[in-house]
Amino acid sequence: MGVHSICNALSHLQNASRAKLGLTSIPNTKYNLRLALALHRAGFISSVTRAGLKPPPPEALLTFETEPVTSANVSTRRLWLGLKYFNNKPVMSNLKPVSKPKRLVTADYKQLCKIARGFHAGHVKGLNLGETLFLSTDKGVLEVREALEKRVGGLVLARVS
Amino acid sequence: MSVAARPAARRLASSVGFLSTSTTGTTSSSSSSSSSSQIPLQSRRPFSSTPAPQARREPRSRFRAMRANDLGIAKQSNSPVSEEQIDDFTKKQFPKYTPAEKAELARMYTPEQIAALEAGEATINPRDLTIQGRLRTDIYRMPYIDDFAEHQPIIDKRAPASSRGRRIAPPDPNARFMNTDEFVSDLIRWADKFRVGEPTGQLKRLEDFVPDEWKKVKEGQWPGEVRDEAHKEFKKYLQDEINKAAKLQENGGVVAGGPTDADVLSYILERSVMTDKNIQTQSSLALALPDKVPGVAGMYKAAIDPADDGLDETGVFQDLKRKSGMSVQEILALQTKTLVMNRVSNQTRMGKIGSMVTMVVAGNGNGWVGLGYAKSQEPGVAATKARLDAISKMRPIKRYENRTIFGNVEAKVSGTVVQLFARPPGFGLRVQHRIFEICRAAGIQDLSARVPRSRNPMNTVKATFEALFNQKDPEEIAMGRGRKLVDVRKVYYGGATQ
Repeated sequence: MGVHSICNALSHLQNASRAKLGLTSIPNTKYNLRLALALHRAGFISSVTRAGLKPPPPEALLTFETEPVTSANVSTRRLWLGLKYFNNKPVMSNLKPVSKPKRLVTADYKQLCKIARGFHAGHVKGLNLGETLFLSTDKGVLEVREALEKRVGGLVLARVS
Repeated sequence: MSVAARPAARRLASSVGFLSTSTTGTTSSSSSSSSSSQIPLQSRRPFSSTPAPQARREPRSRFRAMRANDLGIAKQSNSPVSEEQIDDFTKKQFPKYTPAEKAELARMYTPEQIAALEAGEATINPRDLTIQGRLRTDIYRMPYIDDFAEHQPIIDKRAPASSRGRRIAPPDPNARFMNTDEFVSDLIRWADKFRVGEPTGQLKRLEDFVPDEWKKVKEGQWPGEVRDEAHKEFKKYLQDEINKAAKLQENGGVVAGGPTDADVLSYILERSVMTDKNIQTQSSLALALPDKVPGVAGMYKAAIDPADDGLDETGVFQDLKRKSGMSVQEILALQTKTLVMNRVSNQTRMGKIGSMVTMVVAGNGNGWVGLGYAKSQEPGVAATKARLDAISKMRPIKRYENRTIFGNVEAKVSGTVVQLFARPPGFGLRVQHRIFEICRAAGIQDLSARVPRSRNPMNTVKATFEALFNQKDPEEIAMGRGRKLVDVRKVYYGGATQ
């Protein structure tokens, strides 16, 4: 699985968030879906909905009955993500890819321990106040603290704050 | 001929008697009509922007030639002026001194001056004044008409010690301002002229209030109750007298012997404050405006607030006090420090006009800090203004455990980037001097900083402030994400911060 679609999704989310959009969409891939769900678990986005080229109605975002993906409609499926704002500022304003198609960056459990405490480890800088890392591990795409809880390391996807 | 076009010349001419009102009217009307008839119509399109010779105005001169008949010397126009007419005009305009005038002059001037006047009269022929003389009317003319009563330091030589019978000494070079004792004795000397009360024998004395057997004994030997009683009565009597005098003055009466308002004003205006015994000296300095004029004293100055305890005599903090609600004591207790002082200059057609520009930080050492910026030609004024500005702009900053900042912050102003890093307790302020002063004013004890790029002093200060005010708020992050955020330090150490 290449990380280029993840990088594109991150850039798009950062742009949409800084433009104060309420709802945006990214391509419907399994990798993007896992990242979106991880962001949702971390509280960065408000909703993850699979729909077509048109967004689902805003009032039905959380209760939307998604169509089953078929070979007929797979090319038109998109993931619609609700963006969050607090005090007139985006909750998620910085999304920076760490692994890029040219260089994949991994961190094992020991390194993650240091990074989560704010110290540099390997190619990854320590986390600042309010920053999180998202990793692709054997147990799915996880936030750094979830990975620490599960004692796994993996591919460092993004730094989000 | 343009008498009408030059009002000043016409005024002089009419005042001297050269022109009667009727001639003035005719001259002005004739000259205006003739000048309008002389301007040719432009019938052809000119090939150049230079006006044709006949359309040009006459060459301008500040002193136009006046014809003798316009001056009243010649009776008819175009007729040659006769010698008799010149003599008549000369006698009328520049007559010789009469014996009565000479006697008056002799009374005013010394014999030497009279001799000089007569020599001057003999030297200049009045006829030359008529033929060649020119009376200037411009504003730059010299004030020749002077009776030499006043000494003008710019024009005149220094006056001799004795002139016109009155001795005016030069200023005493050793004179200095009186000290307190000298001032008091000088004031008493002045006040002695208006002596009232005791020396006149009208006021009672302390001895008048004791029983007869003690009157001849000195006060020190009086028994306690007698002395107390006497003092009490004497005080009451003095108060009564003061009240009586005040009432009399209120009703328009004059308190006998006391200085009037005019005396007080003359004391303020004319009495010398130097140790020169108040003797009049030659001086080219004008009298200064009085500081306190009786009757209007205190009406033009804001009353000093007694709550200030005399800490703000000049009133610089009054405006700030009103705006901020702080007392002068609180304002003075704030820490302030000048961070940047630069000389700048404005290039004008008059040359470079320099000013001093200042940045000052102010803080209470407990989480409030402000940055002031001011410019003035005087460095001291700029510093004061910037200080007041800084105090008025003080705002609270976020501090972690009241000693460092929340997380690492970075701010960029122009090419200057300032990175601030939170540090553990006891780390100290390992930062450059300007950031150190800002931290000290703000009450931050543990911090390190990097200024990796440009270290422009002003931008460093601005960027540091931007960084301090733009710290992340953990509460806000937690509420935004809907997650619980825990300070691990407080969890591990049971919330102890020290």
